[in-house]
Amino acid sequence: MIAVAGVSKAFGRFGARRVQALDSVSLEVRRGETLGLIGPNGAGKTTLLSCLLGFLKPDRGTITVDGKTPDDLSVRARTGYLPERLGFDRDLPGRAFLAFHWRLAGGARALAHAGVEAAADRVGLERSALARPLRGYSRGMLQRIGLAQALLRDPEFLFLDEPASGTDPRGVALVRERILEAKARGATIVLNSHQLAEVEKVCDRVVFIESGRLTRSETLRGDRATRRRGLVRVPPALLENAAAILAAEQLGPAGDPPGSLRFAVGSDDDMARAVRALALADVPVYEARVSAELEELFSESGP
Amino acid sequence: MIEMVRRYLRQKYGSVGFSLALGILAIIETFTFANGGGRGGFVVVHWGIFLLAAGSVSRDVSSGALQMILSRPIRRTEYLFGRYLGILASYGLFLMATSAAIFLVVRLTSGPAREEASLASLALLAGDAFLDGAFQAAILLMFSTFLPGIADLLGLLVLFLVLHLPPWNRTWLRNASDAAKDNLLPQVSWNEALRGDGILGAATGRWVFALTVYLVVAALIFSRRELPYGQD
Repeated sequence: MIAVAGVSKAFGRFGARRVQALDSVSLEVRRGETLGLIGPNGAGKTTLLSCLLGFLKPDRGTITVDGKTPDDLSVRARTGYLPERLGFDRDLPGRAFLAFHWRLAGGARALAHAGVEAAADRVGLERSALARPLRGYSRGMLQRIGLAQALLRDPEFLFLDEPASGTDPRGVALVRERILEAKARGATIVLNSHQLAEVEKVCDRVVFIESGRLTRSETLRGDRATRRRGLVRVPPALLENAAAILAAEQLGPAGDPPGSLRFAVGSDDDMARAVRALALADVPVYEARVSAELEELFSESGP
Repeated sequence: MIEMVRRYLRQKYGSVGFSLALGILAIIETFTFANGGGRGGFVVVHWGIFLLAAGSVSRDVSSGALQMILSRPIRRTEYLFGRYLGILASYGLFLMATSAAIFLVVRLTSGPAREEASLASLALLAGDAFLDGAFQAAILLMFSTFLPGIADLLGLLVLFLVLHLPPWNRTWLRNASDAAKDNLLPQVSWNEALRGDGILGAATGRWVFALTVYLVVAALIFSRRELPYGQD
């Protein structure tokens, strides 16, 4: 478990130059949970991630990972980290880069070759690309090899800073698959991303950070989900009828976008109930989905 | 730590720019010897240590490479001394290659008569340059733990200038200045010391002390240093 208790961090010492990057932030990430950090640029997300990794020391408060400090070597041996921008030795071939991290992560030298190729395969990097220096990699390729590096030796704790940044849609899907894969094997993941649709697809919980403060926390999955909205799109002429049917099913409206009906959903069964009720009343359902609508939350939390 | 040394060698000798710059220094030194120079020891290859050691830590900090490395089970001191050993290994290789080139070129052009280009003399010169370089590398490493980019070179220059200020008027200030200079930038005649003359003398003792001080200070600063990276 990752526990953050009352963490504050400021940069600069005096007056206008002093920036309060984190202000009394407290949160917990349970074992096997995937937590998304959401907030505008400059909110303090990367500072929090840097504190979680032990690169920065909080001015106040404590951070523990499984009861130990983040820079404890036993914690680091189980940690994978992908920075937002991969700034490594540009002349180093991809294979040497991964092999270097394989060995640093405690991998046996004899298994490095196989480990590196398996890691490259997992992120869809061609073997021929591994022979090329990193300077010849596109942004998307750098993200892929960075992700491969973070996933080496299946870490228990994964810290991902904008993992899909600069990647094409196929790359975005691949990043998502790898995160879900890590999640399925029980990894604890902290994800910092502006790609809210992707955050919603992989995270169990999200926290909103604004001006260094944790302003909101929403659980997206499980029985304790706090933020689930059902949305059905029906023919415009039948909107009123459909709204009455949903109200009879005690699925209250939650601000309807044009041409659609939106309602709070406690579980997936609520959505099934809504669709069934509409279908029985001969109201065609063009579209039905459950979403946390993080974008809307993000807009609400803004200035 | 061996991984850090390997990485350093790869960083320097895997870069065309660095290899080219070192090659040019080696060629100039070789031509100096071939044209009858070199009696006073190596001159140009000393610059190699500045090429190899400048920004050794700060560049990793600014690029974010250090943060990736330190997310692994690596102690900061392990990384730091790995960098230092990497500098020494790359400088040692450079000196060996240059000495070999000088030996071959002088042999081919002047025959075996040139005493200063004999294997024994070149080994002594290389040892002299290596130990001087090791000392300067320790200072550069210390400055690189907290100064950005290649400002460690500036730090070394400032340290040198401060310790070589004109004689102070007051006796106690002059004494303090001399003591600082003797202990922080000790001069050792390695050519003689390596022949066994005064190897255990006061000068070499001060050299070892100062080298240790720079490395310990570097480790203390670096182990407490914060490593911000990226933008929120």
